[in-house]
Amino acid sequence: MNKYDVIVIGGGHNGLVNAAYLARAGKKVLVVERRHVLGGAAVTEEVFPGFKFSVCSYVVSLLRPEIIRELELPRHGLEILPLDGTFTPMQNGDYLWRVNDHARTRREIARHSRLDAEAYDEYGKAMIEMAHFVKPIMSMTPPDPTSLNPKGLSDLLFLARRFQKLPDEDKYNQVQLMTMSAVDFLDQWFETDVLKATMSASGIIGTFRGVRSPGTAYVLLHHYMGEIDGAFRSWGLSRGGTGAISNAIADAAREAGVEIRTEAPIARILLKNARAKGVVLANGDEIYADTVSSSVDPRLTFMKMVGEEHLPGDFVDDLKRYKFRGSSGKVNLALDGLPDLKCLPGAGPHLRGAISISPSVEYMERAYDEAKYGRFSRRPYIDIVIPSLTDPSVAPPGKHVMSCFVQYAPYNLKEGSWDEKREEFGDTVIDTIAEHAPNIKDLILHRQVLTPLDLERDFGLSEGNIFQGELTLEQLFFLRPAPGWAQYRTPIRNLYMCGSATHPGGGIMGAPGRNAALQMLKDLR
Amino acid sequence: MTRYDIIIVGGGHNGLVAACYLARAGLKTLVLERRALVGGGAVTEEIIPGFRCSTLAHSAAPFFPQIAKDLDLAKHGVELLTPEARVLALAPDAPSICIYDETARTVSEIEKVSAKDAKSYPEFAGSFSRIGRVLAPLLRMSPPAIDKPALGEVWNLGKLGLSFRGLPKKDAYRLLRWGPMAVADLVSEFFETELLRATIAARGIAGSFAGPWSAGTSTGLLWQAAMDGYAIGPAAFVKGGMGALTQALAKAAVSAGAEIKTEAKVERIEATEEKASNVVLRTGQEITARAIASNADPRTTFLKLVDPVNLDPSFLSKIRNYRAAGSSAKINLALSGLPLFSGLNRIETKAKLSGRIHLGPDIDYLERAFDAAKYGDYSTAPYMDITIPSLSDPSLAPTGAHVMSVYVQYAPYKLKEGDWNSRREEFADKVIDVLAGYAPNLNELIAGRQVITPLDLEETYGLSGGHIHHGEQSLDQFFTFRPVLGCAQYRTPIKGLYLCGAGTHPGGGVTGGPGANAAREIIKDFKASRI
Repeated sequence: MNKYDVIVIGGGHNGLVNAAYLARAGKKVLVVERRHVLGGAAVTEEVFPGFKFSVCSYVVSLLRPEIIRELELPRHGLEILPLDGTFTPMQNGDYLWRVNDHARTRREIARHSRLDAEAYDEYGKAMIEMAHFVKPIMSMTPPDPTSLNPKGLSDLLFLARRFQKLPDEDKYNQVQLMTMSAVDFLDQWFETDVLKATMSASGIIGTFRGVRSPGTAYVLLHHYMGEIDGAFRSWGLSRGGTGAISNAIADAAREAGVEIRTEAPIARILLKNARAKGVVLANGDEIYADTVSSSVDPRLTFMKMVGEEHLPGDFVDDLKRYKFRGSSGKVNLALDGLPDLKCLPGAGPHLRGAISISPSVEYMERAYDEAKYGRFSRRPYIDIVIPSLTDPSVAPPGKHVMSCFVQYAPYNLKEGSWDEKREEFGDTVIDTIAEHAPNIKDLILHRQVLTPLDLERDFGLSEGNIFQGELTLEQLFFLRPAPGWAQYRTPIRNLYMCGSATHPGGGIMGAPGRNAALQMLKDLR
Repeated sequence: MTRYDIIIVGGGHNGLVAACYLARAGLKTLVLERRALVGGGAVTEEIIPGFRCSTLAHSAAPFFPQIAKDLDLAKHGVELLTPEARVLALAPDAPSICIYDETARTVSEIEKVSAKDAKSYPEFAGSFSRIGRVLAPLLRMSPPAIDKPALGEVWNLGKLGLSFRGLPKKDAYRLLRWGPMAVADLVSEFFETELLRATIAARGIAGSFAGPWSAGTSTGLLWQAAMDGYAIGPAAFVKGGMGALTQALAKAAVSAGAEIKTEAKVERIEATEEKASNVVLRTGQEITARAIASNADPRTTFLKLVDPVNLDPSFLSKIRNYRAAGSSAKINLALSGLPLFSGLNRIETKAKLSGRIHLGPDIDYLERAFDAAKYGDYSTAPYMDITIPSLSDPSLAPTGAHVMSVYVQYAPYKLKEGDWNSRREEFADKVIDVLAGYAPNLNELIAGRQVITPLDLEETYGLSGGHIHHGEQSLDQFFTFRPVLGCAQYRTPIKGLYLCGAGTHPGGGVTGGPGANAAREIIKDFKASRI
């Protein structure tokens, strides 16, 4: 009979991680994926013959080292290649180039400001301290602060005591990081505008906020998280594109006994007496399981697959309030050669890292202002990577693939629709790049433009939010995705959530999938 | 030579409140005020002969009733006037909305524009007052030290924790969720009418360098709700203007035995062996005391009055990073008659105009006003909070004439082009133009005007950076972190030097809270012979 212990909905990286952990604990697990490829937003696709793109997510940064270790991902083919440095062209013809080599970065920053070069060291040390503080929180199930359950209380006390034990200076930094804007925070350390602009960019990725919006400082920490994990550098590319990560996890899952079905879209979750009993596929097949674990976002899970009528009213209200608000797009280019940057011509090592179009704080903030009023940025922030320089297997010899992450592209446009505006948006991105690399237009063989609407339609990300919901304070930790439902459980018994919409959130981290699996195994015991 | 127990630098309302409590505890207290009149930001001054106006702050609603009672302010001449209308929200091409004290009356007013919003209002107002009640004890509490909280502090926090857990679960989660939110998001969870959204959201951004879409602005709204228990702030005037309140405080202080010297500008606070010992006036006169409490803002206190050698460099750098760039200005008008506002029917005009008047029709309008400030320019379509106090208190203007107090936001302290001295009049003209869009006959009525820019706030009123709250009230400069960590219990790194102004918990607004809390800590230290 067609019956499993657990059905995992969605074969994104979190769904796969979740499945792998459950299977390793002896559960009979089935993963059902809507598309023909596994990986969700962490996929590699040959969009144009010979050119393989990490279509959505394009860098690895926070994949939890315990997952790499426990699932033995390197044995299953995971190989992380370092992505060295961030290069920012400036409007005055100069540039800022930070690399992993600390001494070189110091010299480069000193070229802009000696004070900042000094501060950069101090800053790095402070951030590493902070990252140490935050790290264990990543792998815990959030407590419920309103419940009187002793476990919840002791978790809260644990957090309070950890905070209390921090040296004063760190307490101060921690509160600032949680509440300040990236720019206000960086203003305290640095004077070089372009340095602040580029560093603050990491604070706005995937959110509908500007670099001056409070709450954006927190993400600055993430850049230092990778370093303390010691597994690899903070940023890297996966050989074969980000899809290779998903494939490695899928491989580990299969080895543990997980069954995976692709091209199996789900129509709804089967319920009986307010309990999840299995799923119904779009083709009408019914598959039964004791437990269902959904890695897709809460809007799809509950509004589409469960149905409002089966849910408590307060929970539905909370889901409706949960903010997606996609703010980014993606442009993938197949290139005939390498772009030539005006500020540093030639095919040097500066093209091997990330190229950040974030010339000034004001540029970044103005890009946000346009999005606030419902337009895509005329001059957007772009994070460019040319993975074929590091991993030649993704493009034909002599040719290249270029991945451009673009912000802001608000899901809700004031005028027109994304289907009408797609090419205009693509042109804006190319024009912006051409201001820094004039030869880009001659090099383009193919281009793929992904708007927030495409991210929603093709990748199942509601409103095109790359993190399955904004990573803002009011949607983090015990509030993610809904107050009272942050512990991977849901109001439907035997239905769990294991995607980026749960703590600790988005990015190719794998932590939601793992945390959820551990919680489920505890509950099933 | 007299030796004082304590000298209070600055005779603003918080300094005076502190002085009252300290003198009543038997300490020999001296208040030194730079200007010719006490009151700081809560003063009544003459715009032109015959027209008097609350120069800066114009609402006494946040003043803690407990302080008024403790200090017997009614006996010293304070008479509160509470108009029936809290706020009248005007929009150029939409019907106005008037919020009253009474929920039922407000609901029927909102019903005219949206049945859905009218239905949400009681739930919204109720949730805020429940949450406000839980937060209220925080205001009167000294923020606990997070290193080694004292037993009493743990007790207080425990009580607070219990009352948090006593909230209905829905409200408890709201409190947690709302704090870090953008106030624009919060209001849109309840209401669909833009004018209503903007009117409520404005309270979250008042006085800050933030727009309604800035995260954390909901905290501003919650905090205000804690002060008076309402999501939408009431209007309350003092007969004779805000100056009457501070004059009464001064009288109360003197009658309790304190001395007040005006036109006594403190140039320096001196310290020996890391203990504050005396103040030096501009005249060169030195006055000694066992302790000194500064009602000046933190930047002025530590960067101007205290010699930096007495402070630890890391503390100094925190104070330098303390954000206090002001964003507001004030325009006070002497009017020969009551202006006619378009869209208001004549019969209800007076009653509706008697509270606060809100100008800022939608969230985007408020946000755009902030955008201008972000790039270093004043907003040409600013948010305004207006009162016409002479409607409730005719003594402020000649018969039939009125004074209008216009709070204007955003006017950033730092202008990208030109400076405030060269742009003052042009700024005022623009503001009055916008105002005339709502009250067409305004220009004919103006008999005189007083324009106070952020630079004036700094130079005349001693507010560093022109910030009306003595520094941004953002989450990182809040409670145990106000003004900076390790200095939030009114004590400073210099022994014997205290802070008692709006740069300390519970922050800005004419509440008296900082002054009263600081006095309590100072008295504790005197009793324990720590000074």
